[in-house]
Amino acid sequence: MTITKNKEGTRMTLALEGRLDTTTAPQLEAEVKTSLYDVTELVLDLEMLEYISSAGLRVILAAQKQMNKQNSPMVVMNANETVMEVFELTGFTDILTIQ
Amino acid sequence: MISIRHLRKEYPNVTPLKDVSAEIGQGEVISIIGPSGTGKSTLLRCLNLLETPTSGEIFIDGQAITDPKCKVHLLRRKMGMVFQSFNLFNHMNIIENIMTGPVSLLGHSRQDACDRGMELLQMVGLRDKALAFPDELSGGQKQRAAIARTLAMDPEIVLFDEPTSALDPTMVGEVLSVIRNLARQGLTMMIVTHEMKFARDVSTRVFYMDQGEIYEDGTPEQIFDNPRRERTRQFIQRLKVFETVIDSHGYDFIGINSQIEQFGRKHEMGQKTICRMQSIFEELCIQALLPRMEKEFQIHTMVEYNEENNDTRISIRYTGPAFDPLAEGDDLSILLVKGLCEEISYGKAHTQPFTNELTMKLRLE
Repeated sequence: MTITKNKEGTRMTLALEGRLDTTTAPQLEAEVKTSLYDVTELVLDLEMLEYISSAGLRVILAAQKQMNKQNSPMVVMNANETVMEVFELTGFTDILTIQ
Repeated sequence: MISIRHLRKEYPNVTPLKDVSAEIGQGEVISIIGPSGTGKSTLLRCLNLLETPTSGEIFIDGQAITDPKCKVHLLRRKMGMVFQSFNLFNHMNIIENIMTGPVSLLGHSRQDACDRGMELLQMVGLRDKALAFPDELSGGQKQRAAIARTLAMDPEIVLFDEPTSALDPTMVGEVLSVIRNLARQGLTMMIVTHEMKFARDVSTRVFYMDQGEIYEDGTPEQIFDNPRRERTRQFIQRLKVFETVIDSHGYDFIGINSQIEQFGRKHEMGQKTICRMQSIFEELCIQALLPRMEKEFQIHTMVEYNEENNDTRISIRYTGPAFDPLAEGDDLSILLVKGLCEEISYGKAHTQPFTNELTMKLRLE
C-alpha cells in the first residue's frame, strides 16, 4: 500500500493506494500515531484503495477516535464499491463521515 | 465374474493405479468416470493384460489372469475391447475386419463368420457398409464397426475405453445408442466415459476414479445425485476448486491472496467476489484462527465455485481444540464475514487431521 501525505497548514490528506489489510495496516497505524497530533482536519482519500479488511478498519477507527479527542473533523472520501460494502456491513457508515 | 484385488500399476514416473479392488457381477454395466489421468484407461488395459499390473490380482470366473501360468489368450477371448481410436485394419473392408478374428482365432468357417458379421452390422446399422473400407466411413460409423468386430468374438465382457472421445459431437449419439442396446441385452460391460448423462442412464453401477483408486462406487443415483465423498461431488457438480493450507506462522499472506485472485480471474469471477473470498480468508484464517494456533497446526481453506450458478462455497478446516470463531472471535472480523455470506456454520470436521470446520456460502454479487 502507498500512503501519500499532503499537509496544508493543519489540514492533512492521506491518500491510500492498494490494499489496506493485515500486512499493510501497521503502515497506516504508524502514520496515524505520528502525524495527527497537530491536525485540525483529516481527510482519508480512498479513491485508489482496492481492498480493506478489519485490520484496516481498526486503524481508521483509531484515527477517528484520535480526531474526536482533538475535537477535529475527519472525512473519508471516494471509497469504491468494495470498500463501501465493508463500511456498510460493519456499521462504519454510522461512525465515519463519508463523502 | 470379475474380481480385482489390490491392483497396482506403476510406471517409472507415475503410478496411475495405486490400489484398486472391485467385484463385478455378470450382466453388470459399469461406467468408469473421473478426471483425466486418474487411471481409468489403465484399469481397463490391465483387465485384459494390455498392461501388466505391477501387483495385485485379477480373477475372471475364478481364474487368476495375473497368474503367469494362466493361458491368457483363452481368457482374452472372454473379453473384448473397444478403443477410442477404433483400431480397424485400413487395408481390409469392414466385413473382413469383422471376420478376421472369428476365422483365425475361433476357427469359424468364412461363411459362418460372414453371416454372423452381417447380423452384427445389421445390429449396429451398417449392413450396407460391409464392403466399404474404414477410410470411407465417418468416425461414428468406424466406431460402430469396431463394436461389431468386438462382438463377433462372442465376448462375455466388453471393455469400452472412451469410445466416443475421438468423435465429432454429432456422431457421439449413434455410438452411444449402440452401446445402450448392448446394455439392454445383458452383456457385461465396463465403459470408461466422459458422457455423464449416458453413464447415468446406461449403468447399473458407477465407479468414480480419482487419485489412482476407485474413490467412490455406487448406483448412478448415488454417484450423480448424492455423492458421499468430496472429490466425487466436486467432479459431478463440475466445481472449480481452490485449496490452500497454512501450517506455520511464517505463511505467505501476499502469495495466498494472489493465488485467490488468480483463481477468481481464471474462472471469470467478478472483482467483488474475489475481494469477498480474500476477506473471508483474511478475517477467519489470519485474524480469528492463526493467533490461536500453537506449534503444530493446519488451517485448510477450500473454495468451490460452480460456474453454472455462480455459487461460491468456502470451507475452512482446522486442527486444535474446539473453537467457534463465529461465537468467540473478534466482533469486527465476524461482523464482516457474516455480512459477506448468505449461509455460515461451524461444526466438527470429519476429515483427519482436522477437528473444526467452518462452512459458508458467499453472497452473490
